Amino acid sequence: MAPSDMAQNDNNFRVGIDVGGTFTDFVLFDPSGRQAPIFHKEPSTPADPAQAVGNGLARLIAEQALPPSAIAAIQHGTTIGLNAIIQRRGARVGLIVSEGFRDILEIGRARMPSSFDFHATRETPLIPRENVLEIGARFDRDGAITRWPDAAEIERVAADLAALDVDAAVLMLINGYLQPEQETELAAALARHGSTISVLSAAQTWPEIREYERTMAAVLNAYIQPLMDRYFARLTELIGELGIDAPLLVTTSNGGSMSLATALARPIDTVLSGPASGVVAAIRLGNEADVSRLVTFDMGGTSSDIAVSQARAPEMVTRTEIGGMPLVVPVVGVSAIGAGGGSKVWVDELGVLKVGPESAGADPGPIAYGRGGTEPTVTDCYLTLGVLDAEVFAGGTMTLDTRDVSQALEAVAARLAMSGEDAGVRAAAGALEIATAQMAAELRKGLAQRGLDPADFTLVPFGGAGPTHANWLAAEAGLPRVMVPLQPGTFCALGAATADLRRDFVRSLRVTLDDEAAGEITNRWATMIDEARDWLADQGFESADGDDVQLLPALDMRYAGQAYELNVAFAADRLAELDAATLREAFHREHELHYGFRDEGFRDEGFGNDEGRDQPTPIEVSTIRLAVVGRLVDATSPSRFAGEGVTPRTHRRLFLHGEWHEAAIYARAELGANDRFAGPAIVEQDDTTVVILPGWHARVDALGNLHLAADADESFADEEPRA
Amino acid sequence: MKLDPITLEILGNKLTAIAEEMCLTLQRTGRTLYVKETADFCCALVGLDGRFFAYPRALGVSGFVGLDCTATLAAARERYGDLEPGDVILTNDPARSGGLATHLPDLHILEPFFHDGEIVAYGWGFLHASDVGGKVPSSISPTNHEIYQEGLQIPPVKIMRAGELNEDVAALLRANSRTPEANMGDLRAMIGAVGTGRERLRQTIAQHGVAALLDVQRDLVEYAARRGSAVLAKVPEGTYRFSDFLDDEAGSGAPVRIALAVTLADGRIHLDFTGSDPQVAAAINIPSHGRPHAWLTLRVLALMVTLDPGIPINGGLLAPIDVTAPKGSLVNPLPNAAVGVRHAAAVRVNDALNGVLGQALPETMPAASGGTIIPVVIAEPARHGGGQNVQVVEPMVGGTGGRAGFDGADGRDSSISNLSNNPVETVEAETELEIVRYGLREDSAGPGQWRGGSGQMLRFRIRGAQGHVLARGMERLTFRPWGSQGGGAGEPARLELHRAGEAPRSLGKIDMLAVAENDEIALYTPGGGGWGHPFDREPEAVLADVRRGLVSRDAARRDYGVAVIADASGRASVDDAETEALRRDRPTPSALGTERERWDAVFSPARLDRLHHALFALPAVQRRTSRQAVLDAALAELPSAFPREGAIDDALAHAASRFDAALISLEATLANPAADLGDLSTSTRSS
Repeated sequence: MAPSDMAQNDNNFRVGIDVGGTFTDFVLFDPSGRQAPIFHKEPSTPADPAQAVGNGLARLIAEQALPPSAIAAIQHGTTIGLNAIIQRRGARVGLIVSEGFRDILEIGRARMPSSFDFHATRETPLIPRENVLEIGARFDRDGAITRWPDAAEIERVAADLAALDVDAAVLMLINGYLQPEQETELAAALARHGSTISVLSAAQTWPEIREYERTMAAVLNAYIQPLMDRYFARLTELIGELGIDAPLLVTTSNGGSMSLATALARPIDTVLSGPASGVVAAIRLGNEADVSRLVTFDMGGTSSDIAVSQARAPEMVTRTEIGGMPLVVPVVGVSAIGAGGGSKVWVDELGVLKVGPESAGADPGPIAYGRGGTEPTVTDCYLTLGVLDAEVFAGGTMTLDTRDVSQALEAVAARLAMSGEDAGVRAAAGALEIATAQMAAELRKGLAQRGLDPADFTLVPFGGAGPTHANWLAAEAGLPRVMVPLQPGTFCALGAATADLRRDFVRSLRVTLDDEAAGEITNRWATMIDEARDWLADQGFESADGDDVQLLPALDMRYAGQAYELNVAFAADRLAELDAATLREAFHREHELHYGFRDEGFRDEGFGNDEGRDQPTPIEVSTIRLAVVGRLVDATSPSRFAGEGVTPRTHRRLFLHGEWHEAAIYARAELGANDRFAGPAIVEQDDTTVVILPGWHARVDALGNLHLAADADESFADEEPRA
Repeated sequence: MKLDPITLEILGNKLTAIAEEMCLTLQRTGRTLYVKETADFCCALVGLDGRFFAYPRALGVSGFVGLDCTATLAAARERYGDLEPGDVILTNDPARSGGLATHLPDLHILEPFFHDGEIVAYGWGFLHASDVGGKVPSSISPTNHEIYQEGLQIPPVKIMRAGELNEDVAALLRANSRTPEANMGDLRAMIGAVGTGRERLRQTIAQHGVAALLDVQRDLVEYAARRGSAVLAKVPEGTYRFSDFLDDEAGSGAPVRIALAVTLADGRIHLDFTGSDPQVAAAINIPSHGRPHAWLTLRVLALMVTLDPGIPINGGLLAPIDVTAPKGSLVNPLPNAAVGVRHAAAVRVNDALNGVLGQALPETMPAASGGTIIPVVIAEPARHGGGQNVQVVEPMVGGTGGRAGFDGADGRDSSISNLSNNPVETVEAETELEIVRYGLREDSAGPGQWRGGSGQMLRFRIRGAQGHVLARGMERLTFRPWGSQGGGAGEPARLELHRAGEAPRSLGKIDMLAVAENDEIALYTPGGGGWGHPFDREPEAVLADVRRGLVSRDAARRDYGVAVIADASGRASVDDAETEALRRDRPTPSALGTERERWDAVFSPARLDRLHHALFALPAVQRRTSRQAVLDAALAELPSAFPREGAIDDALAHAASRFDAALISLEATLANPAADLGDLSTSTRSS
């Protein structure tokens, strides 16, 4: 479409940005759905990541001939926080804890990374022991103060803090989650004496029971804050230079986004935003295409990630790890399943073929990239099999090196004692089968853990290699369908552009569920709802109608004696009606759903002890949660022109299932709604290559998504594209 | 190997995934905390030879890959003849399962998987059930002295017959447990999980054919065996010896010896436990049946995985291992032995293996880790209503040992189990305790060029009116985690009671301690042993430990020969000149700890070897008392707290000669079986 068409639109574009190691991806998104999203890739500038963002933005608005005022919002995902944590490049942070608990980070949860490998080392604490101070302050389990420092002690600890060589500090008091306000006051008092060092209250950051995890949330927050400050200051400046004055939003690990101001105060909420945005974008796409149960599959250079979505919403988890450290703020659940495009293909000493776990990464990368890689990778296998076209890879921006690849794979075949025609090709096919078996195993385990059947799910691949490998993975893992988005290569940027505002709130209280407790819980929720609405207002969010604000209350509950809780969701509009009996029944039901039984209580079998008869098992509530979502865009993907029966652009030899096929090659850009074709086939597009296996066929829906299903899937053929 | 190298890898991945799916299904559908949270369970696929050919990599109990189903399958066949589709065999009986089960709460099941009427594999599952009867709730007490006190023994019987629950067996199970519903819930979940494995294996056969499945069983095991053997081939050949001690028999009696002679040759390892003590009248015997059993070989498997991280995990890892374990010994007890807390002895077997391998591979193996796992438990009146509130306060462990190039891990130890600790706030929320201090124990690490990991310390106050504190599994109060290659031993464990108006009391081992309001209990776990001479430690590394507060200035000077002073700004720094002067002399630190040196001065390896030779010529029932008699003859000459308390050389010499005299007279009775043993057994330990 002509740039001028776009400029005539309302000034309402949203720009989604995802900063990766190699490329910074942009998407210019029109929420009205009248214009197809415009995608752009800009080489990343790792030394000054904001520069690539500025460059890309400038190019994007110039190419589309947009006035800066046409940009309504910039939604930005960044891995700066995550990288700082993994590479240990954050600020110097001091820690002040209740007396007796100086080793909170040293002991952690006391686990070693491996039970067998005695050379595996534990993570180094983020704060060395000499930078941890103790203070005579703590609460009891009911939140009452049992020790509190006098002015002299506060002054002494503040002086000790000032003497440490740190940029910022965190205060954590035992049972402080019950009294965040008091802990915050003490933090402020310490900061007043401690000159320029700010002191962050752990309870204020995340008021949840479990002192180590809460401390880590605050420590990580303080650790990445200065880097985030610097980055966004620079970015704001660059955006200003472009004349854009749209608000800058930062995407978050819960799949939403928040204002820059909140993100700077709470950078901990942003660290896993990249994968979360992709998952949320996949779910949004699934909703439009009426695919409600899906598994996302993001295959990158070094590894692949999956996420499971059942009820048109991302699955949230509150126990994640980053670099061996726990993260308890709610994040979209994403798990690694093994190989990526750069995973190495090799033969062990006993002559057995292996894929990974080592990766050639982006540098030097696969042999095919011609950047000095000498060991064959998964990507090299694709090339050898004919999946990739050496001439038109990445939209023709890169020519692949086929000769060195063939030689390397023939060498692999020789080490496997394979000979004869196509030995290298057969070795490559074997390596892909192994990679597929590994990924399928992990995927099936992920579903088994949740008690789910793969046959109910659609695989939604994105990332550079996801669509290439998706059909293999779906076939092996028993997922009957695959849905390939229109632009899978820049999917996380699309997710950023369409993200809602979202924030999670938490309060722990540790009560046995009875009527009094139920009353306290509903009161707490009311307070949290006020807090959440205030926060939305602070974000500059104006609700057009009630429907664009969503409140998601939930409780962490368990039967007395269990060590971990189940998260039970409730409807926001029914909170006032919740009494102990309703809450209890909701928990029983959730427990039954997850674990297959409900514990209604002890029933004595009649051996003379009647006292225990029909005692209900107590149910405990440990944590009250509330998420608030403010819908920013009613995003709808534009409909696709109906196709007129697509014909292959060409044919190519493709080695699949042990033999060569003549595969039809299609161009994604030429596909229209309701176009259908059968495998073996390849669909080529600038940002990826899609494989359709023999025995499978493809159909394009009204939104341009490419759906794959096995030939035996009779319902698939009859489905009409939805608008 | 029969299969091609691609199919082998593909099937290896798929079959391991099936075992892992079985585990995840069990964890999801299981009924109790043992299954859901402690993850005390596992599932795997068993070949026609009774060995695991596919075992989960990182789910459930990894160490049980060394178990063997052969004897259980043979027993089932003997009882029932051929098994039918839908049959499931259940056992928890260490004797009649041939060591598949190693204590009674562990329920093991095996289901034959059929294809075209032939058994092609078995599915296996085990879980730790809440209670199988016996003397105490949860069925485990270290003071049980025969297996009949530990609960119901279930020889291999059918819990499922052709797909139907065997109600007779189920009724017997229910009637013999304090938690019948929880047990049956767990058992049903486990049967279901193994059924998942059956279905998944059927799909795999449909895809790859039954011949491939039968081939891959053998190939995977052979592949693991060859890689395991390749690791062992890197160990210098020869015979190495080491012995280590448990402080006592789970709280009473004399120290218990584990002796090992290990021979490495041609990529194989032979573990000879001759010289280890007779089985004891406490629940710490290891029912190995004298075979390369999981509990005797854990450290060898760990070595294989450490040096070859990608090695397949299956029964093939056991193939290059041979074991000699004298019948009737702690490590191969007779069927009546109590075994409930067998992991307590397994911890020390692990240490002994670590020590013996350290002689062969000094650069690879660490010094000893803390060597004790102490779940500190509070039992107090429940806050609401009647009954007892019983909670684990913290599962306490020591630090790991130092090794070439690396200090030990502070306050952590995964050598036997790798449990998470409990948040202080949840402990306080669920008990009447106030946790006063929980952290690292300063000056506890064994000094070395690479020091051991610091132990932990826990101090808590009783806020309720009364209660009992349990600290079962306390060990290394006497014999310290040893150092290696010139490194020193770690501090031993200690437990103190602080009661208002009284001086703190060191209590030694407690089983159940009555406590009152405002009492404080302080428990200190051992530090790991050091590796390499502490004077070879970089002064900067010692300074860093002083700054971190883990090593005191006194210890820096005494143990490391490093003078740490305050510099002009008040910051700790090294006085180079004085350090150089201090380091001119190189005293050798005690690698095994002074207690062990004192002990060995009387009870030398040669004496104990000779004693064991004599003991194992006796009928099994006489061994324990005869051993005690000979030891008591010597101990009568020594202070009651020996070897924690030293003795003058005269006393040591005297004790040694009493030992020799008692031993000679024991040997004489062997030559002349009619002689009376009474004289020996009357000499008692002074107290």
